[in-house]
Amino acid sequence: MEFIVESVNKTMNIGKKIGSLACAGDIICLTGDLGSGKTHFTKGIAEGLGISDNITSPTFTIVNEYEGRIKLYHFDVYRVNDPDEISAIGFDEYIFGEGICVIEWSNYIRDLIPEEYISINIMKIPEEDTNFRKIIIEYKGDRYNYIKEIRL
Amino acid sequence: MRVLSLDSATEVASCAIIEDSKLLGEVIINYKMQHSKTLLPIIDSLLVSLDLTLKDIDGFVVSKGPGSFTGLRIGMATIKGFSQGTNKPFVSVSTLDSLAYNMCYTRGIICPILDALRGNLYTALYTFTGTKFITISDYMVISVEELISLLIKHNSPVCFIGDGLIKHGDLLKKSFSDISFAPVHLNLARASSLGEIGIKRLLMGEKDNIYDSSPMYLRKTQAEREYEKKMETLKNV
Repeated sequence: MEFIVESVNKTMNIGKKIGSLACAGDIICLTGDLGSGKTHFTKGIAEGLGISDNITSPTFTIVNEYEGRIKLYHFDVYRVNDPDEISAIGFDEYIFGEGICVIEWSNYIRDLIPEEYISINIMKIPEEDTNFRKIIIEYKGDRYNYIKEIRL
Repeated sequence: MRVLSLDSATEVASCAIIEDSKLLGEVIINYKMQHSKTLLPIIDSLLVSLDLTLKDIDGFVVSKGPGSFTGLRIGMATIKGFSQGTNKPFVSVSTLDSLAYNMCYTRGIICPILDALRGNLYTALYTFTGTKFITISDYMVISVEELISLLIKHNSPVCFIGDGLIKHGDLLKKSFSDISFAPVHLNLARASSLGEIGIKRLLMGEKDNIYDSSPMYLRKTQAEREYEKKMETLKNV
């Protein structure tokens, strides 16, 4: 599934839609260049989960936790050099737990991601305006069939 | 000697106080794993019910794993704090030892299994010779299939205990003829069992060092995982 959006708000809206449909235990992998809008996408997911806290990037904390309709665990593994480092914070208990995990830069820890997950890739479109983004959403596992309901 | 023991290695949060050979009290909460919220109120209510304060405790026992990362850290930090604050010794005891000890005097092999996620179990094998409690394997993190083939080699009755039964109980039942499962009231990492093992060690003068005692996580490293993956691929060629 592919969307072209022309503003940060539209990016957040797609996130919000996913957040409103997501179920306990879902894993959402986010990839995309620096500044492409991964954290904004997560803000949208948080809004969809009914979280009113301000979402900030967990670049230095690795994971931030929020209370909402379902718990949200927001990971940023950009600074993780070795998948063992992320294992050492009890990563498995998060991703096999009852919350929703959003993992920015998930490509850095591919071996640790379970078989079923949603993958979201956000790309800048340099030939268009600087705010334009192409958002590709794919998923593995029937539990994520709700993705089909997403419309712009 | 009066000992306070704490087990937060699994979904269970449990605290017990043992005085010599008497269990004065025990609290077990097996619900929604919120150890950071539940553990201190449990300890407090147990002390209050027994008209005790931390000053009346002569030593501490904590579960050292394997088990939940977060749970183990919470337990270890709490007990180290108590030990340092009261200047009383503490020992850490394996969660697997304590679970196996729940099934005291069971014939054959006692096999505690804890869900280590990704299809793996934390386990070790135990047996009672007379009244002597013996470990007959290392602490391991292995798949249920590996465990089954290991146990088949032993060709002995086997009793399973632990939260690994939730996912793997059916398969285990099918794999062995002489098999038993721990009853519900014993199928928990109980602080009383941990404390009973711990008080014996404390009485012998054993104690952990607050600066280097750490949980036993038993997780596989990235190198081990890659090696396994490689072997798996080779097998399938």
